[in-house]
Amino acid sequence: MGLSEMKVTGKMEMKGFGFGVWALVSEDGTSYELKDYPTELEEAGIEVEVTGKIREDVMTTAMIGPVLEVESYKKLS
Amino acid sequence: MKKLALLCLFILGLGFALISFKGLAQQGEFDSIILDFKEEVPIATISQEIEELSRKYNQKVNLNSVFSIDDRVYIVNGDKKVLKELKRSPLSKDTEYIEANYLYHALEVPNDPEYSKQWNFRNINIEKAWDETKGEGITVAVIDTGVSKVPDLKLTKFTKGYDFVNDKDDASDDHGHGTHVAGTIAQSTNNGYGVAGIAYKANIMPLKVLAARGGGTIADIAESIKFAADNGADVINMSLGGGGASNIMEEAVKYAHNKGVTIIAAAGNENRNSSSYPARYPDVISVSAIDSAGNKAPYSNFGAGIDISAPGGSEGAKIIQNTVDPRSGESVFVGFQGTSMAAPHVAGVAALVRATGVEDPNEVRDILKQSSRKVQEDHLNHFGAGHLDAGAAVELALKGNITFNDFFRWLRKSGYLNLGFWIDGGAVALLPKIGMVIGSYLLAWFLRNYLPMTLGLNAGLIFGSSGLFFLQGLYWFDLPQWPMRLAGSSIPELGNVVLGNTSLNPLFASALIPFGLIILLIGSNLRWFAIGSSVGVAACLAVSALTAPSLWLLGSGAIAQGYLMINALLCLGLAYLASQKEKQRA
Repeated sequence: MGLSEMKVTGKMEMKGFGFGVWALVSEDGTSYELKDYPTELEEAGIEVEVTGKIREDVMTTAMIGPVLEVESYKKLS
Repeated sequence: MKKLALLCLFILGLGFALISFKGLAQQGEFDSIILDFKEEVPIATISQEIEELSRKYNQKVNLNSVFSIDDRVYIVNGDKKVLKELKRSPLSKDTEYIEANYLYHALEVPNDPEYSKQWNFRNINIEKAWDETKGEGITVAVIDTGVSKVPDLKLTKFTKGYDFVNDKDDASDDHGHGTHVAGTIAQSTNNGYGVAGIAYKANIMPLKVLAARGGGTIADIAESIKFAADNGADVINMSLGGGGASNIMEEAVKYAHNKGVTIIAAAGNENRNSSSYPARYPDVISVSAIDSAGNKAPYSNFGAGIDISAPGGSEGAKIIQNTVDPRSGESVFVGFQGTSMAAPHVAGVAALVRATGVEDPNEVRDILKQSSRKVQEDHLNHFGAGHLDAGAAVELALKGNITFNDFFRWLRKSGYLNLGFWIDGGAVALLPKIGMVIGSYLLAWFLRNYLPMTLGLNAGLIFGSSGLFFLQGLYWFDLPQWPMRLAGSSIPELGNVVLGNTSLNPLFASALIPFGLIILLIGSNLRWFAIGSSVGVAACLAVSALTAPSLWLLGSGAIAQGYLMINALLCLGLAYLASQKEKQRA
């Protein structure tokens, strides 16, 4: 894993901002806004493990949490 | 002689100008008339008069309500003509007053059919602000996903924007967020369609920095901030955030702030006890979100860096505006929630504040914060300075600036522009006063061979006859009124100026004071003032004797008239004698 890379395990949730924004809510309760993810992950309740980079240079409309740019993922459920 | 003629013309001109001006107070709408019968008039008489009135105008005359019986307040349908006739009729003897039953309108409510769903605008007291301004002439940059010209933005003014994501001029919205935000700021209002926006006469500068999925780079955002500042934006709204502090962003914010742009950003939706960036920067106003009950919205950030709170909505009650649905490309009215929705409320009000003339962004921020509704217990800083209050903000912005609106309001309140104020002789009976001034000059003209037209003489003539009578009706904000009454009174009136009643004091309304003045001042520089005031008092007393003799202790009959006329002649004689002495000396 690179320096800024991290692994996050959590459940997919649709947050009610705008027309809807998908978040990965980790075990410790942090919501991550996913960047560059496939539509396959747009399913409420599924457990996923995402490996990616936190993009501190990106800002969004959702503002629900850190922006996690997806590099690879594994569906757990 | 020329000076006399000019002075007379001036006074007549002033009189005519004021008489012909249709005072604002006279332009109230009414279609019925109030009759307040005096307490001492027996009910039988009232009934009779009411019946006659009813027959004459073929109208029903009714008690205003069941509560009017004691006060004897009756209402009859009628217009200006009827009002005039009634005032002149014998009915006026038995009434305390007969006046127009003006119709009062509530504050301006826009005709947008879904306005009733916008609880957020009532929450910020917007209608009071709209009484003063709608943001005309102010440009608000919306740095977001772009702004599409949906139907309810048709009447809204746009200035040139830019799409930094795709590097093109057309900054249309492919996400839906930016258009919704722009709607809160300046949705076309009073267009009989959709919903309303706050600063609906302001211009929108659409700057697209966020892509279809809602994300954008700090570099693009920083560039857009500079673009806005360089292209005439007065306010910037950034309903976006994330990441940490960055130099490029901080520099851009400072640049725009120094150029006089008021910058507002959303605090963030992580329910965290610190604001996100860019809201967190000191030069940016950070906005947290409240729900329809005034509580912090469940998602809203709070704590460190929060400056103010505004409606952001919650599951139960959202913020409704017109936007574009990216999935269909169609225009929709939809409710969103978020600090993204709260920030444009503040941006819209900032535009209103700027439209009143306040330019400095620090001042705008201070006004917004100071005028906000304070929340008593806020240990965790959910609300910053408090809940946004548009009405209070605009009011505070205008305080200390005398605007045209203010001046007219004061003029109206003081009764000065009210036609009835002059003709009905409310505080000042205009015609007799003019008669007194003109009369004093006529008398002076008769004695012209003995009276040089010096400043002293003129001052004496005016002071003796009428004083600066137009000052009597002047009420300058909260200052005491007695100095106005004093300067506006003639010498005979000085006797009643402090008590403020209209009967003349026999000591003052006589030759006594002129006599005293002449004796005192005959040897000095002020001798012509003394002589002038004697002539002036003569005119004043003579006119009073002929029009409205009313003396304390002496009544208003023949005795009072006689007293006044005799003293008028005495004053004239004194002036003649004194001026003779002056001529001999010269």
